[in-house]
Amino acid sequence: MIETARISLVVIFAVVGLFFTFVSATGVIRLPDVFARAHTASQADTLGAGFGLAAVALTLGWEPATVKTVLLLLFIFVTNPTAAHAIARAAYEEGIEPWTTGDERR
Amino acid sequence: MSDEPTSQPDERMDGRVDTDGVARQRPVYTESQVIMTTVKAVIPFVMTYGLFITFHGADTPGGGFQGGAIIASVVLMIAFAFGIESTRAWLANSTVVGLGTAGVFLFGAIGFGPILLGENFLEYTAYYPVFGDLLGLKEYEFVKYGMEAVEIVGIAFIVSGILMGLFFALAAGDSHSEPNEADLREGELRDGVDSATFGGESDD
Repeated sequence: MIETARISLVVIFAVVGLFFTFVSATGVIRLPDVFARAHTASQADTLGAGFGLAAVALTLGWEPATVKTVLLLLFIFVTNPTAAHAIARAAYEEGIEPWTTGDERR
Repeated sequence: MSDEPTSQPDERMDGRVDTDGVARQRPVYTESQVIMTTVKAVIPFVMTYGLFITFHGADTPGGGFQGGAIIASVVLMIAFAFGIESTRAWLANSTVVGLGTAGVFLFGAIGFGPILLGENFLEYTAYYPVFGDLLGLKEYEFVKYGMEAVEIVGIAFIVSGILMGLFFALAAGDSHSEPNEADLREGELRDGVDSATFGGESDD
């Protein structure tokens, strides 16, 4: 029973992580400007990697490697949005205007 | 302004003046509270992780290349959080260059030592008759720890020093993108790199 629940959770986490990673990749390719792309690359990608690593941790069970996986998850949750923040800030300081409806893609 | 790797504003402006006396065009970087806080929190873990990777590598995944890159990324993060020019003033150019140079010399010393002892280049077991009793190691263990020594004091030093130097060189901008004839001549290339590409004052 517990084993079935664990396997189902692993599958659910993996599929959800795959979905968010797909959304993130689509956004990076299709969104119009650097701010929108940094946005999707930080938020959707963090969730995708987070769910993927959660699936890995559940698959491993109680092992030393699980601790490393959970630590990796925590650091991705801290650093990924910060990196996107730094990119968006740098782009703003360089004088890039945010995209509005009707503008060209860039 | 933060009290981390910064210096007096006047010094910073001096450091930002190029050799031809023209101040750089970029505005002084204003720090972001978010980035500074995250970098302060993350740096100890990244440094530990870099050393962890560096000290593995003889018979486990890891090694000097990856570890050196992670250690250099600590300096890159500091530069992104606290401003590149103040990091350049904090971390002396001679330290960065000395790190790479020391790595090359130590790698060479470890590699040529066996030749002096009558064996081949990088044949670590040649050290066994000399240091075997002192270190209390078996002969075959010298292969593993010799590789570790090359990874740690050789490759990790070189990679981290070169990556920091390349980062500072790239961050110096394109004000020197057109090399004049003096830079192209080999004899004066070093001076050009010292004063212009790495930017700012030369310490030696």
